[in-house]
Amino acid sequence: MSDTVVPPQPAAPAPLAPPAPAPNPDHVTLTIDGKSITVPKGTNVLEAAKLLGNEISAFCYHPGLPVVAQCRQCLVAVEKNPKLQPSCQQTCGEGMVVHTTDPASTLARKQMLEFTLVNHPIDCPICDKAGECTLQKLYFDADNADSRVDTQKVHKAKVVDLGPTVVLDQERCILCSRCIRACDATSGQHQLDFAHRGDHEVLTTAPGEQLDNPYSLNTVDVCPVGALTSKDFRFTMRAWELESTPSVCNGCSTGCNIEIHHRNGRAWRLIPRHNPDVNAYWMCDEGRLTYHELREHRLAGAIVDGLPAGWDRAVKVASDRLASGRAQGALSVALSATCSNEDNFALAKLAQAWGLTSVYIAAKPPVPARADGRLRTADINPNTAGVKAIAAALGLSTKPLFELDPGVKALVALGDALAGVDVGRLKEIEYVALATHERGAVPHARIALPIAAWAETGGTVTNAKGHVQRMHAAFPAPGQALAGWEAITRLSQVTGGKLAWGNAREVFNEMIAVVPGWKDLKWAREARPLALRFAGSRG
Amino acid sequence: MADVHSLKQLVLGRQDVQDMSDLESEVPPDLMTINMGPSHPAMHGTVRIVLTVDGERIVKSDVQPGYLHRCFEKESEHATYTQVFPYTDRLNYVSPMINNVGWAMTCEKALGIYDKIPKRAEYIRTIVSEISRITDHLTCVGASAMELGAFTAFLYFLKAREWFYELLEEVSGARLTHSYVRVGGVNKDMPHGWDDKVLHGLAQTDKVMVEVEAMLNSNKIFRDRMAGIGAISREDAIATGCVGPIARAAGVDYDVRKDYPYSIYPEVEFDVPLGTTGDCLDRYLVRIEELKQSIRILRQCFKQIPPASDAVHGRFLIDDHRVALPPKHDAYNTIESMIRHFKFIMDGVKIPAGETYTFVEGGNGELGFFLVADGTGRPYKAYVRSPSFVHLSTASQIMHGHLIADIVPIFGMINMIGGECDK
Amino acid sequence: MAQKVLDALMAAHGGSISHTESQHGDEIAWVKRDDLLAVATWLKNDPAMLFDAPVFVTAIDRLDWKGWTEEQPRFEVCFQLRSVKYRYRLRLKVALPEHDPRCPSLANLWPAFNWQERETFDMYGIKFEGHPDLRRIYMYEEFVGYPLRKDYPKEKRQPLVRRDDLPINPLKREGA
Repeated sequence: MSDTVVPPQPAAPAPLAPPAPAPNPDHVTLTIDGKSITVPKGTNVLEAAKLLGNEISAFCYHPGLPVVAQCRQCLVAVEKNPKLQPSCQQTCGEGMVVHTTDPASTLARKQMLEFTLVNHPIDCPICDKAGECTLQKLYFDADNADSRVDTQKVHKAKVVDLGPTVVLDQERCILCSRCIRACDATSGQHQLDFAHRGDHEVLTTAPGEQLDNPYSLNTVDVCPVGALTSKDFRFTMRAWELESTPSVCNGCSTGCNIEIHHRNGRAWRLIPRHNPDVNAYWMCDEGRLTYHELREHRLAGAIVDGLPAGWDRAVKVASDRLASGRAQGALSVALSATCSNEDNFALAKLAQAWGLTSVYIAAKPPVPARADGRLRTADINPNTAGVKAIAAALGLSTKPLFELDPGVKALVALGDALAGVDVGRLKEIEYVALATHERGAVPHARIALPIAAWAETGGTVTNAKGHVQRMHAAFPAPGQALAGWEAITRLSQVTGGKLAWGNAREVFNEMIAVVPGWKDLKWAREARPLALRFAGSRG
Repeated sequence: MADVHSLKQLVLGRQDVQDMSDLESEVPPDLMTINMGPSHPAMHGTVRIVLTVDGERIVKSDVQPGYLHRCFEKESEHATYTQVFPYTDRLNYVSPMINNVGWAMTCEKALGIYDKIPKRAEYIRTIVSEISRITDHLTCVGASAMELGAFTAFLYFLKAREWFYELLEEVSGARLTHSYVRVGGVNKDMPHGWDDKVLHGLAQTDKVMVEVEAMLNSNKIFRDRMAGIGAISREDAIATGCVGPIARAAGVDYDVRKDYPYSIYPEVEFDVPLGTTGDCLDRYLVRIEELKQSIRILRQCFKQIPPASDAVHGRFLIDDHRVALPPKHDAYNTIESMIRHFKFIMDGVKIPAGETYTFVEGGNGELGFFLVADGTGRPYKAYVRSPSFVHLSTASQIMHGHLIADIVPIFGMINMIGGECDK
Repeated sequence: MAQKVLDALMAAHGGSISHTESQHGDEIAWVKRDDLLAVATWLKNDPAMLFDAPVFVTAIDRLDWKGWTEEQPRFEVCFQLRSVKYRYRLRLKVALPEHDPRCPSLANLWPAFNWQERETFDMYGIKFEGHPDLRRIYMYEEFVGYPLRKDYPKEKRQPLVRRDDLPINPLKREGA
């Protein structure tokens, strides 16, 4: 979590205690492959081995889900125990001696892999999971031997529609039940289950149900093979071609940690990234699909009076027109709850430089039906908390943009989320939009300046709990769009302001010095895209 | 004066007038700066030389490579270990097989399977390497002779070269960019009857050699243009990093095949020719003798190579699932081989973290690969120690004091290969 | 083979060597930056060493290395040497911090390193102090950045020639 910055909090208990002189009653010490390790009570052997750098192969085990020990892929030998034990279910005990590389357990795991592959179809070339498939990875790393079974494979249904978002291929399914547990855990609804027995056992929807909960796509993430595929992603892009950049979902005020998977300058999917404080391992389907709008109705060039213009002319014209509004004292500024802290801070500083004491806040309207007490919240703006904190820190009073004062003759507004604002009224005034998309009121703006969207620029957003989280730029912004703070800096320079930031880090550092409680935050080094192909399977 | 400065700025690519003070102080005012290349018909490859001349005599020269820079190292950092083979083909494109072998050996050393390569695979590698060395020397000598006016020798040698290119095409499928060698062996076995064709080609080449030597060795024009030109002393050759025929012409007894033996070179007999004067004529004579030694090695290889039927040594690729591709039939018909094929192609051979420098005797001398692996399927860093680059760096020194016309034999005998020099 | 080289080096210049290692038969000695020139001179001239043949110079950028943190040195400059007489091989390594990539030049000891250090400077931006002619060698003078550094994107293009006649603005292209 090096790129997630959180406000100072009481220190969480360390998962792995340093070698303490006195034995800690809450910890146990055991030996795995001759190496001693001390872990908190209740840790299973698989996790303890992982802390030693020894990844025991497993299909059904997922750290965020209940343990069922169904796949038998993680069998290890525990001394004084006659039978091999599934390490995911075996809790660490004091003085326990575990062997993971002895002949018996190695053979057992190899045979389990051989068994799992007996009925697996030869689908890799057409399978969406290929390249990030746990089965492929474990077979190649742990077994890599030829099969001794030469029988006809059992055939099952290849295309089963589970619901609006997910398609199932029953032949590929290895019956690990991760999806069933993930569906239960994330949504609280039991919509998936097994039917039949033996090699006819299949995954299917629970009686009378279909997989239609708002967290359904998490089942695709946890699927270790290509049995469950997302209707949104399947057949669009091979997984190994993608590159991953860590970011934060901008779909609502939860701020789920995500990876943007992108290639050729566009995002292809969003995948949740583990953060125990925010979203654990999950995210909602709606957030997952927000990447589509990064390509829709984008404002790619500056527009002056409905005609395309270059940046230089657009900021010059904006400066001239805003000057008259400023002279009349009728100029105002709207921050945006949909934009990053840096963009808002830059605009707030500009407002301060213009002598304003009050700013508006533009936001998307709340959706009360979304709030479910899990990850989804009613506030669908990613940065409501951040923009309020910044305005308060700079001594600016705020009110929502739909309460726009009738005396305002000129308005500089960040973002395109102008909920409840009278568009007719905006048409009458000198409205300068700094927007990512050409939608909402932006087409009516006298001057529209294109800015980069959340996936295209580095920055931070503050979620409802107050976590200030870092987003990294995944790919370049379209056309002439600049980062929001950069656009504001240019606007400031022609209007006689003194803002002169060179990069987002400078904005951030100036911001955290001002906003109370943020001064210990650190700007992480820019994350560069990681090629999934060489990063090992995500599993 | 200002015009002269701006002209020199343009020619030398130097930033400001202060930088040229060294030229001003050393060079008398009546010297001339001229530009040779980047594309000059008598140049091997694309290279620019900024010459300062006193009449016809070279007083100072600045050799500027880089026109063929193809980012070998950057591309390699984004490709699997197997995908690097085509890039190595394009380093020294006159003897690509040796580059292939060098890269394969680097990966094998880093994997720790250096000594597990089947004997037959090692012999095939040596055979194709030595054929490549022959094509390299034939091209180098033939082209140099042509540049000195001996067009017939060029045609005779290129005729012989084409025989070998056709033979390499038969074994690998491509005339020039073979990509034939693989980590753990070679791509496929020698075709049936190929060895007889090679032996026939060698016999024909013997005849061509006699003809060309008769044409060149006692040719007064050729000898006058080569002897005493571009000489380098033994000490200078060592200090400037020269290797291969250039160092051996200066009397440095260094041949990777003898000094750090690899593959099956300890099992074959051959001699390392040495020169005495280190001039262009000695470089020519060393190359001619190396051609004969390569032919000698090849004849021994075909006698000693284990047959494909040999259960222990007869494989052309190592029997290791983590390194070698499964047979195509299995890949299409069993999920195990399909996964293996898939992981091998997509993720690459996983080489454990570590660094290694491995080198072979290329056409121009010690060709080394410095590999830093990080445990993934692609190189973290892949540096190539290209002999051409090192030799070209000495060009400026050995041209000094010679005539402009002498640049042609000097460059011909340095045998600068653009692809290898510029990477 | 050449463990005795490392032993002799440690005996003669132990204070200048931070540590030594051996990987795949290659001997590596990590030299402190300020002592590099003294160590290299000794290696070249000592009658029991005689590292007279230079092999290569390059650098390693550890930015993407697993587990690398900003506190660790980012660059490692490698000097590979060979002794013609004894057939020893040795790699000298110098660790350089990210914000101060200066390294003593060995080009005056071994002329072959002249171009190779220029290449390393061109590709990694290592400043070789004392180099007689440190300028770019593969890239052109106007090139910005160092292409083999890990933070230089592979896809990045820097065309030298600006073509003002090409329509950059898509709207202009439509109008044409």
